[in-house]
Amino acid sequence: MTSYERVINSLKKKLTDRVPVVPEVFGVTAKLCDYSLYDYVTDASKLAESQLRAREVIGHDMVFAFADLAVESEAIGCEMIYKEDTYPAVKQPLIKNTGDLETLALPNPLKDGRMPVVIEASSRLRDAVGDTCIVAACVMGPLSIAGQIMGIENLLYQLVDTPDAVEKVLDFTEEVTRRYGKALLQAGAHCHILFDPVASPMVVPQEIFLRLELPRLKKLFKEFKQEGSLICWLSIAGNTRKILPYYRDADVELATVDYTVSLSDACKLVGDLAVNGNLMPFSFVSHSPEKIKDTAKMCIRETANKRDYLLGSGCEIPVEASIEGIKALVEASHELSYSGNTTDERKKN
Amino acid sequence: MSKHTEIDELIQAIVGGEAHLSVSLAERLIAKGLTIESLIQDGLTAALQSLNAKCTNEEFNLLEIVLAGRAMMAVMDNVVARYLSPSKTVVSEPDRTILLGTIEGDIHELGKHVVKMLLRSSGYRVIDIGKDIRPEEFVDRAIQQNAGYIGVSSLLTPTIPSIRRIKELLHKAGREDIKVIAGGGAIQQTTKGDLNVDFVARSAFDILHYLKNLKSEA
Repeated sequence: MTSYERVINSLKKKLTDRVPVVPEVFGVTAKLCDYSLYDYVTDASKLAESQLRAREVIGHDMVFAFADLAVESEAIGCEMIYKEDTYPAVKQPLIKNTGDLETLALPNPLKDGRMPVVIEASSRLRDAVGDTCIVAACVMGPLSIAGQIMGIENLLYQLVDTPDAVEKVLDFTEEVTRRYGKALLQAGAHCHILFDPVASPMVVPQEIFLRLELPRLKKLFKEFKQEGSLICWLSIAGNTRKILPYYRDADVELATVDYTVSLSDACKLVGDLAVNGNLMPFSFVSHSPEKIKDTAKMCIRETANKRDYLLGSGCEIPVEASIEGIKALVEASHELSYSGNTTDERKKN
Repeated sequence: MSKHTEIDELIQAIVGGEAHLSVSLAERLIAKGLTIESLIQDGLTAALQSLNAKCTNEEFNLLEIVLAGRAMMAVMDNVVARYLSPSKTVVSEPDRTILLGTIEGDIHELGKHVVKMLLRSSGYRVIDIGKDIRPEEFVDRAIQQNAGYIGVSSLLTPTIPSIRRIKELLHKAGREDIKVIAGGGAIQQTTKGDLNVDFVARSAFDILHYLKNLKSEA
């Protein structure tokens, strides 16, 4: 069974030989090719090479066309801070007032910032793996892009002080996600993970998520699906209990769940959606591979009755994580493999 | 309307993040004869406690906290400051002085700003030295400012080696009496041993609890 078949069968709730392993490994893969983070986020060939090498070494079931969380805001025009061994960051917000939105132009994904780098990486990855493994690109959601171009603190105040104007900013950032997301699919990505950390209930109330984020996600996922995306996949970090029951209303098919929500709770809250998670990201830095393997096995056992469960981390695995710790996830999946087994046997193993 | 009811109204306005209303309610209370000390104790401190209860029950989000913080600061700056001289609103002794900054390699400041508002509202002297700050600068500035505490903020785990250095530098300078408190984002997954600090705050209010407990132990 190929990784592609394993993931797709799992999402269709069909039996697989083992639980698919889909940890969010991005910049951490660069060290396997002795590249700096700067190389990884600015050079398509190095990004693709790192991802492919990581899959060879770790043996997980997906490759990712993802550089960092600031690709969209840089393409809109934000000035960036680049360092050799940390992810680039937005130096300062691009607009102070929502009225300044008129000064911004929508980015062209084929030309602006590093969008072309990640688009090329998607093509390279797809050329390399074909349909044996899913190439997941990553896009940022409307609230998080707005947080970067306005400044997060300013966005929070404006959500209350000038709500109508913020909606216009969100219309703009939604269009950025749409254009970039479609370009990534056209370049060869099978799907995206849509990240929107600012939509977390730890940042904004549930009401904001339901009113401003959910309808936009629904439109984006619908259009990505029409463009050929295999999976509508949403990843929001933090304690998402208050919003997980609404994911289905946005046509989400796969929900990544952070360590702050137990897998059993998450499975109940999302209903029949597939679930990915939820080892604590920092545990890949602070815990031994043995301990990580034990935790991974607990996750697999906890979801024994759920065929559409994909083992992974609840958020990005830190760049300083040990590769051995990530490999422990795959070992756990192999050791609890359940080819042809019933779920009861999976629980026993 | 009784003064008691009006104080409750002020608390609700602050917790609800309504800055203009909070200021006008506070001004009305002072005009009716409420002492500034009662305004702080029964109004602002009570509002902080109410927010704290929401945090403890995980019924909070950053938006509500920053709005409440803004309302609180509006009352502090527009009402309290008019009646009290700065020396009376804050005390510059080391155990009431905290130096805050975001560690080098990170430029996120929202969490730090929330903590700053809460600490200032609670009467601490807060020195915010900004973002992307080297460990050496934390230590030098804390000593210069006679701060009893260093609050180091970070959203990103790659900054951990720099956070660990603060305590080492304090040791070299013979100033281990200055306590180091870390907080923010990914730091919440770590222990004080991972970071080589005295305390890892899980929320903005966690810092207030820690400082309060230290004071009661002293």
